[in-house]
Amino acid sequence: MDAWWQCEIPYPHVDKAITDAADSVRASLPNRLCDPKIAARLFDEVLDEFLLCDDLGLNVCSIEHHAGINSLTGAHPLVAGILARQSRNARVLSLGTLLSLRPDPVRVAEEYATSDTIAKGRFDIGFVKSGGTEMASANMNPVNNEERFWEAIDLVKKSLTSHDGPFSFEGKYFHHRHVNIWPGPYQRPHPPMWAATGDPGSSAEVGRRDIRQILVLRGPDGTRRAFAANRRARAEAGMPKPTSDRFAYAAFVYVGETEEEGLEVGSKLLWFLNTSLKSAPQYNKFLPGATPPAMAPDLYRTAPRADAGLQFRDVEKGIAPATRNAEKLITLDAAGAMAQGIMFAGNPDSVYRQIKDFHDAVGGFGHLVLVGRTGYITHEESERSICLFSKEVLPRLREIPTQEAGLGMPD
Amino acid sequence: MPIETATVHGVKLEVLRAGAGQPVMLLHGFQQIEPDARFIDLLSRRAEVIAPSHPGFGASERPKDFETVYDLLNIYTSFLEALPYERVSLIGFSFGGWLAAELAVRANRKIGKLILTDSLGIKISGPETPDITDVFNTHPDEVKRRTWHDLANAPDFNAMSDEALVKRHRNWESLSLYGWHPYMHNPRLAYWLPRITVPTQVIWGASDLIVKPSYGQAFANRIPGANFTLIEKAGHHPELEQPEAFVAHATAFLTR
Repeated sequence: MDAWWQCEIPYPHVDKAITDAADSVRASLPNRLCDPKIAARLFDEVLDEFLLCDDLGLNVCSIEHHAGINSLTGAHPLVAGILARQSRNARVLSLGTLLSLRPDPVRVAEEYATSDTIAKGRFDIGFVKSGGTEMASANMNPVNNEERFWEAIDLVKKSLTSHDGPFSFEGKYFHHRHVNIWPGPYQRPHPPMWAATGDPGSSAEVGRRDIRQILVLRGPDGTRRAFAANRRARAEAGMPKPTSDRFAYAAFVYVGETEEEGLEVGSKLLWFLNTSLKSAPQYNKFLPGATPPAMAPDLYRTAPRADAGLQFRDVEKGIAPATRNAEKLITLDAAGAMAQGIMFAGNPDSVYRQIKDFHDAVGGFGHLVLVGRTGYITHEESERSICLFSKEVLPRLREIPTQEAGLGMPD
Repeated sequence: MPIETATVHGVKLEVLRAGAGQPVMLLHGFQQIEPDARFIDLLSRRAEVIAPSHPGFGASERPKDFETVYDLLNIYTSFLEALPYERVSLIGFSFGGWLAAELAVRANRKIGKLILTDSLGIKISGPETPDITDVFNTHPDEVKRRTWHDLANAPDFNAMSDEALVKRHRNWESLSLYGWHPYMHNPRLAYWLPRITVPTQVIWGASDLIVKPSYGQAFANRIPGANFTLIEKAGHHPELEQPEAFVAHATAFLTR
């Protein structure tokens, strides 16, 4: 197993009274609440943490999110470019430029090819669907977001792998009649590709496309189901059985010298869930396309009707939308997060054991992405966890061999 | 009120038909027209009401990739052409007003008269002034406040059937496909409105804050000879909040 340190550079320094009173901490919170001097310090700290990872043999992962306290990396390709140049050994994963929010995937391919060239082939490309508040902040239609996502991936891949002069692409969403990027990527045919997705339908699509699938904070059941859907789709398409290298998992991770320290500091990571996910109903449950119409009775009613809605309950099984997943996460505490396999925290031995247990429970994955710094975790605390993880946990994780994976469980 | 199914260009549409008299086609707004609406009862005493639900609304199907106003205009052009009348008047409400105005600009010879009710579809103000409340990105409570003169007239979701709520959410998805961007208008429609030659009446709820009466007046000003009428104590849906006054104005104009 390999590991990647991730930080989306949160900005927690807004009074709790303000975030409590706001109906959303993303998309609509005024940016006068973001002090540029504090933001500059946060960029300094987090970029230094990434470089510390590079020194210690831990890969790095940068993420894009927009217009909220959860992340300052709206201009994520800049961060990815800085990491491509300033790191020396680590692989750099962009997870990723939010493709379906961008009007021109060819430009995204250019950014990625350039980053890979600067990093001399140490670059990985991640695709993330986006949704929620970012449909408002990017002004993108939420209903056909996923269809746009797959078409954009087609165009990015074609742009990265075409080397014989201009080609034309006239799809449903993207029209670019003269694509010929310079430079192409350093890695041929293209840098490794990842996609963050969890529902069975898109898990299957990721499997068919042979893209590495990463599940983010999904817990053992959802993760196992997604990997199994991926595997099934590959089998149906006549592709080889997936190995654990095709699968990744992202969770909160904090390693302390002692179990108590690991748990105490690690619990600060939950700020991401209980503060930074807060968003108004128009950005989640009433966002067009976010929830299947069949689930509408539960969405619209404030008082349940005894005589109605029951026939729709089963609809959620297996297709819980991201909005519903987020609702469940907001109220989670540290013990709950660890019990659900979305946080691994404690001393090095304990963290290793938690990860290994989770790995075994979901049938294997080859890459762990550490959501290592969110909320009020300090720079010093992050560096401490990075050091302890790299020296005490990572060597043991590396010994976990690649195996056949995605066997899942009976549905 | 009979609900029929019409197949237009291979697409099955539910069509509410009621009454007898001069034919009037209704193009609905964010929600399909309910057969038991009071204004349908009143209007159908004076006219033959033909009210299709847009593809993706109510029980009408929406084929894959059918997600633009261009698609809607083509299907309604076909629908109009197939009606066995020399002339059919149009009443467009809100989003459906946009469609009605576009159809009238295209000088369809089948259109008799045109009524636009709290219609969307054009851009009046500068880039930094939204003319049309962003119903997708605004808190639902605020959208409700801007929609109704009297909040007691707003639908009570707790009292609605599962089926009605499922339809409502599907309508919302379809509306987003058609109207997300450019938001609920065609940037070039205002330029072409002077091409409308049929007699036109613009009716507006005086308390409408989704699209204010000043927007309605500006809409009317761009259509040669159009009249503009305000209905008091009504928001974005004068036909629902003041059905008697609405139908009185509409029928007075249609029978003039």
